[in-house]
Amino acid sequence: MPDIFVNEVPEKKEEVFKKPETKEEVEELPGHSHSPLTSFCFYPDGIDFETRRKEEKIVLLMRKHIVTNVGWIIIAILMILAPLVLSKFPILEFLPGRFQFVAVLGWYLITTAFILEGFLDWFFNVYIVTNQRVVDIDFYNLIYKEVSDAKINKVQDVTYKMGGVIRTIFDYGDVFIQTAAEVPNFEFLAVPRPNVVAKILEDLITNGEKGLRVKIK
Amino acid sequence: MSSDLLPILGISIWFIAKIFVVFAISLYVVFALVVVRQVQLMTDTLEVGFETEVRLLSFIHLLFAIAVLIFAIIVL
Repeated sequence: MPDIFVNEVPEKKEEVFKKPETKEEVEELPGHSHSPLTSFCFYPDGIDFETRRKEEKIVLLMRKHIVTNVGWIIIAILMILAPLVLSKFPILEFLPGRFQFVAVLGWYLITTAFILEGFLDWFFNVYIVTNQRVVDIDFYNLIYKEVSDAKINKVQDVTYKMGGVIRTIFDYGDVFIQTAAEVPNFEFLAVPRPNVVAKILEDLITNGEKGLRVKIK
Repeated sequence: MSSDLLPILGISIWFIAKIFVVFAISLYVVFALVVVRQVQLMTDTLEVGFETEVRLLSFIHLLFAIAVLIFAIIVL
């Protein structure tokens, strides 16, 4: 009997999980990016840090998810607009005109510092996973920084936490790494794809870089 | 006697205000210098291919602070 309707089953593209070996495979990784402002990058190109050894290869570079910047950006916009809004109210009327003008300039100086601090805080707070170490570069504020690291083989436990509406929508969360090194705990806060980060760390801990198995498109 | 003169010293109150304002902005310039230095140190710590732009930002911030200081000295 002839078939009236044949449902064509679409050919399913098989997902490949393996360690990227060639440059093409690295380029095809879902999280690979060339942007210096990325918050998640597999095998980043052209990135280096002070204490990296020659044979050390950066596997993962992370920052806080870009959505975490929305708070300070909104405040910055309000700060920029504040003098325009406040000019409708006679708050500085008791000052001579030249003092009022310098006060506005001073306000914009503070706004510039706030914006710079917000950006640099996000930009320089970086978490790096190499094939040998976990590195946490912290830029606490404009005058204080901290760089800590632990060898991959000292990592004892990796857990990740993801909760809340915003975090679920934008897929970011915290990764906690417990180590036997001098720095007992590493916290990768608000990083994108925390489940992927945890998996990569577990692969690296179990079998080193050879055991790394990531999804290739 | 003008209302903006201090009766004892005979100095304009706005002159004293100017000294305070200029001093505050001078402190801010020092802070901006520290930011430039800190950004230099951080770009040495971490190289991601965006160093020139970040250093430029910190320099613009410093120049803005110096410009406001000079402006305040001249205008006030």
